[in-house]
Amino acid sequence: MSDYRMTSTELQDHPATPANALLDVRDLHVSYGGVSALRGLSLAVPEGEIVAVLGSNGAGKTTLLRALSGTLAMQGGTIDSGSVELSGRSLTHMEPAEIARTGVVQVPEGRRVFGELTVEENLRAGAFGRGRRGGRAEAFARVYELFPRLRERQAQQGGLLSGGEQQMLAIGRALMAEPRVLLLDEPSLGLAPQVVEKISEIIQVINRQGTSIVLVEQNSAIALKIADRATVLEVGQVTLEGSSAELSESDEVRERYLGLGRGPQIGNVEPVTPVTSRRTALPLTVEGLTVRFGGLTALSEVSLTVEPDSTHAVIGPNGAGKSTLLNVFTGVYRATKGRARYGDAVLTDLRPPRIAALGVSRTFQNLALSPTSTVAQNLLLGRHRLSKAGFVSAGLRLPAARREQAEQERVVAGIAELLGLSDRLGLPLMSLSYGDRKRVELARALCAEPSLLLLDEPVAGMDAEESQRMARTIARVREALGISIVLVEHDMAFVMGLADRVTVLDFGRCIADGMPDEVQRDPEVLQAYLGSTEGSEKNVGEEIGEAGA
Amino acid sequence: MNQFIELLISGLSLGCIYALIAMGFVVVFKATNVVNFAHASVLMLGAYLVARWHGSLGFFGAVAAAAACCAVVAALCDIVLVRALRRRRGTQEVLAILTIGINIVLGTELAREVGTDLLPSGAPWGSDVTHLLGVTVPQTRIAAAVVALVLMGLFWVAFTRSDWGVAMRSAASDPEAAALSGIRLGRVAAGAWALAGALAAIGGAFFTSFPAAGVNNSTGLLALTAIPAAVLGGLDSTAGAVVGGLTIGVATTLAAGYQDQIAFLGRGLSEVVPYIALLLVLLWRPSGVFGTREVTRV
Repeated sequence: MSDYRMTSTELQDHPATPANALLDVRDLHVSYGGVSALRGLSLAVPEGEIVAVLGSNGAGKTTLLRALSGTLAMQGGTIDSGSVELSGRSLTHMEPAEIARTGVVQVPEGRRVFGELTVEENLRAGAFGRGRRGGRAEAFARVYELFPRLRERQAQQGGLLSGGEQQMLAIGRALMAEPRVLLLDEPSLGLAPQVVEKISEIIQVINRQGTSIVLVEQNSAIALKIADRATVLEVGQVTLEGSSAELSESDEVRERYLGLGRGPQIGNVEPVTPVTSRRTALPLTVEGLTVRFGGLTALSEVSLTVEPDSTHAVIGPNGAGKSTLLNVFTGVYRATKGRARYGDAVLTDLRPPRIAALGVSRTFQNLALSPTSTVAQNLLLGRHRLSKAGFVSAGLRLPAARREQAEQERVVAGIAELLGLSDRLGLPLMSLSYGDRKRVELARALCAEPSLLLLDEPVAGMDAEESQRMARTIARVREALGISIVLVEHDMAFVMGLADRVTVLDFGRCIADGMPDEVQRDPEVLQAYLGSTEGSEKNVGEEIGEAGA
Repeated sequence: MNQFIELLISGLSLGCIYALIAMGFVVVFKATNVVNFAHASVLMLGAYLVARWHGSLGFFGAVAAAAACCAVVAALCDIVLVRALRRRRGTQEVLAILTIGINIVLGTELAREVGTDLLPSGAPWGSDVTHLLGVTVPQTRIAAAVVALVLMGLFWVAFTRSDWGVAMRSAASDPEAAALSGIRLGRVAAGAWALAGALAAIGGAFFTSFPAAGVNNSTGLLALTAIPAAVLGGLDSTAGAVVGGLTIGVATTLAAGYQDQIAFLGRGLSEVVPYIALLLVLLWRPSGVFGTREVTRV
């Protein structure tokens, strides 16, 4: 690991676009149904190097990989012009399977291991990329040598592995084809820091063994650390490129992608006129809450109080039980022991619709919106609980129903304005960037006029700039509507400027509760976040357990 | 009691044939996500070819030739029609409707060919019966059960052990990731359709043998009852196809055997029993007995 800087310094002597590129992308234009996603992108991957592709969500990183792997058509995209060549051979009109057999193999985002197949069968599937070449046994040996963990788990189903192990399996599956160029799409996504560290070491080993690598990453710090050169994409174009060392030093990259020198700055919140009737927030109290799924204890004896009109953050590593907590509040999961009360109502005894009627509304970690409907339609759906017009009066468009519809639209417009979505209302959701979609998700929850808003990882998958924008939005919402907010987050830095109080969960236990700056200094919290490798491996395992439950 | 056991055994052997047919249906659904209604007319084609050819090729030769023919026809359906539509991003529903179209065209043409004839399948066992532990079982049904069990066993081994099985299951689990691994989805799909076609032909040959009289112009309609068998077990589960097939086989045989006792429900109840069983099971488990329930994490 320590030699990366030396390598990258040497590479500064290389010309900007090396002539000896193994994989050569020239002036690539890609669109989805007429909407342009890549506009004249060029990228050269020299033999034996790691090239990082950075950029915020929607910049075109995944589209680039789809164009390289030939899977664009599966997503409704087309290459309009430009070329992709692997040592002079054009890949642009090849089927994905043929491209893999030619030697360009992708590890897709989100790992995508075959869940019902065993580890060994997953690797056998990867061996199809070898085509007629022999040496499958050697490929198995090499993968098992790189990932001894996979050998131990050969007979286990892919879906039962932890997140880190699945990432290893996805990489191992790609290596079975002995690729000349390995394309990695966000290999660090959703993994604990220690696992990310391990994966990036392995990427370097693979590279040293002679495979060129294209590394698409949201986590720019890691990508720049291991890559020889890097390319920054913005709205489908290359805006910066150079050796990693140069880019790490560049102020622009430091600010935008590494998020250095800036914590979440919320700034002044301008006063906003409330658009919805204010509902009085009530205290949310949780007493000795325990949730078990079979043998797995997701939450154990958790107690906390969310004061009315406050922002309360619940943080913790992956698999700490954060989402489980929200699911208990909304009635999706039953408590094994203990209870949660909102004012006088006992949430743990109520069914989801009754809880929603109390004014408890939530957002989802993974977006739960209709992609083909417009933003306005999605938001109106969020007002369903509050519409009184029945099937008949709405169907006949009676005056009362029409008045109500107009009122609903006014409220939706107000909420959209509050979240800076006014100009997006008429657009179909799928045309929006990821950050905007997350804000629509927040707006949808607000449309139910909640007095208690539960936010599940509102900045998951966002880059530094987008998450700052989200932080400002959340602060505005609280200021304007005066509601309680429970904010579940993975990212400790994000909540610090935002929360009035912070509860830290680890392995389902509450390990700290207090003011943000107290919690930040708590040794047990530091241990949980920065902890030992062993600890983080367990976290990943538990995350999978939670997902399965 | 004796009658019940007789009917049960007869039902189970019929169920084996249903299971074989349903398995093809499930394989196509798993590999290509298409609900293949054309399966019924391919089955009729297989039965028709066996009936036409057994005179010159012998029953077994005719079954083998018909299986090969149906495999080619089914694979062509996939390559020529389904694939073209999928290229243009035809959805699962559109593809299902396409297969209904294929079923009508092929089924109508076969019915026209058969006309008013009743073509016997020419199975060598004829109407011979064997007395087994005091109950009477037609020999064709024993042969059908044995053939079905052997084929299902072979299929199971290939599906779980061979590279072909790995490719099939990977493509079913995540087509995009499978393609990225170098698995040729087009070949996997065509292979699945071909296999389904061959299974349908073999199933069809036994389906129209004793105690059934032979192929007539409504065989295609009767073959449609294999679809409830697949849906009932769970469209994406091969084990489900076996259970669903056995259930439908037993249910129809019992309904036919006891039709005098249940005459108050109307004549010919056995023909609608598959659909009644399907309805009841789906009310209880909407994805079938072994089908994967859509699980979404919130």
